[in-house]
Amino acid sequence: MNSTPRGANRFLLALLGLVFMAVGAGLVAVAAIPAAARWWQDFAGPLVGDLSDFTARTHLTPDTGSWAWLVVAVALLLVVIVMVTWIANQGKGRTDVLFTTSGSQDDDGAAGRVVLSSAVAEQALKRALLERSDLLSVSVTSYDFRGQSCLRVRVLPRQGVAPHLVAAEVGATVEAMDALVGVQAPVLLSIGSGARSRFTKAERVR
Amino acid sequence: MSDVTRVILKRESRSSRAVISVVAAILVALLALYGLLEAMLRVLGQPPWLIDPLTAAQRLAQLPEGILPAMPVAIGLLIFIVGLVFLANAVIPGRRARHVIPDPRVAVVVDDVVVASALAKRARLAAGVTREQVVVVVSAKSVQVNVRPTSGILLDEALIQAAVEDELTAMALQPAPAVKVHLANSGVIGV
Repeated sequence: MNSTPRGANRFLLALLGLVFMAVGAGLVAVAAIPAAARWWQDFAGPLVGDLSDFTARTHLTPDTGSWAWLVVAVALLLVVIVMVTWIANQGKGRTDVLFTTSGSQDDDGAAGRVVLSSAVAEQALKRALLERSDLLSVSVTSYDFRGQSCLRVRVLPRQGVAPHLVAAEVGATVEAMDALVGVQAPVLLSIGSGARSRFTKAERVR
Repeated sequence: MSDVTRVILKRESRSSRAVISVVAAILVALLALYGLLEAMLRVLGQPPWLIDPLTAAQRLAQLPEGILPAMPVAIGLLIFIVGLVFLANAVIPGRRARHVIPDPRVAVVVDDVVVASALAKRARLAAGVTREQVVVVVSAKSVQVNVRPTSGILLDEALIQAAVEDELTAMALQPAPAVKVHLANSGVIGV
C-alpha cells in the first residue's frame, strides 16, 4: 500500500531484461558463429572508424579530448539520474498526517485548521493490540495512498492462533478507534509470521 | 468494500518487485558511472583508468578476435541469464503466499504460514497427536494435512478432515482452498 511504482518496476525490468538478453545472445553469436562474426566486423568496423575520425577532428583544445565524449558523459549521467530516481521511488508514501480539515465561519464560527497526526491512530491501535497475549509483535504505519491516509497494521501472532479471530478482534479495535478519532481511514491488517513467532511456544491456555 | 480497499488488497497479494528493481538499478547505475568516469577522463585529456573508450569501442568492433573464444561465450551467457532473470521478474505474476479474509471494516491479508499453523493446531487437537506429528502445507487453492499417527492408535481421517474444514469455513479465506488429509502409513513411537 506504499506508492512503489509497480507498473514502472515491471516495465523497466522487462526493458533491461530484453536489452541484457539481446547483448548476451549477440556476444555468444559473434563468438560461436563465424558468419555472425564476419557480419559484426563488417558492420561495426566502419562505424568505429567514423567515430575515431570524428573524435580526432573535434578536440576542444589541443591537449584535451573531443566534445563527443562530453556528450557521452552527459548521456551516462542522465542514465545514472534515472536509476537513482527509480531507486528513490521504491517504498515511498509514508505520511504523518491522518486527517486535516479547515473550520469555516458557518461551521462553528471559528476559522482555522485541524490537523490530526497519524501518530494518534498508530499509538492508540498499537497500545490496544499489544495488550493481547496472542500477538507477539504489532507495528502500525501510515501511508498516503491515492491521496488518502491509510493505516497498515502488521501483527505477528503466536503459532496456532486462528487468523480470523485476530482479524475480527482487530476489526473491533479499529471500529473503537474510529469512534475515538472521528475519522474512518482505510485500514489494512496484515497477519504474518516472523522468526519470533516461529520459535516461541504456542499458547495453550488463554 | 470500497475501491481503495480493493486496490490495497490487490497490491498486498502481489509482489512489488522492489528488491529486484533496486538491484537492476544499482547494476545499471554502476555500469553508467564507470563509463562516465572514462568518458570524463578522456574529455579532460587524462590517462584512462582501465581502458580508453575509443580503444574499448575498437576492441568491441573486432570481436571475436583478440580474446580467447571461450570468454565472449561465457560473458554473453552470463549477461543473457541476468537479462532473463529481469524479464522473468517483470512478466511472472508474482503472487504472494497470502489469502484474504473478508471483513466489513478492515482489509485483511493473512500469510499462508499463519493459516497453516492454525489448521495444524486444529488437526492436532482433533487427532490427539503431538505438534511434531502434523504438517500442514497451504497453497493458494489447496490445503494438505499430513498426519503421522502414534503407533498402535487408529486415527479417523474423516474426523480430522471435518475439523480442518470447519476451521477453514470459519476463516472464510479468499480464494477458498480444498482440504486433503493424508495419514502416514507408518506410525511413530515414543511421543
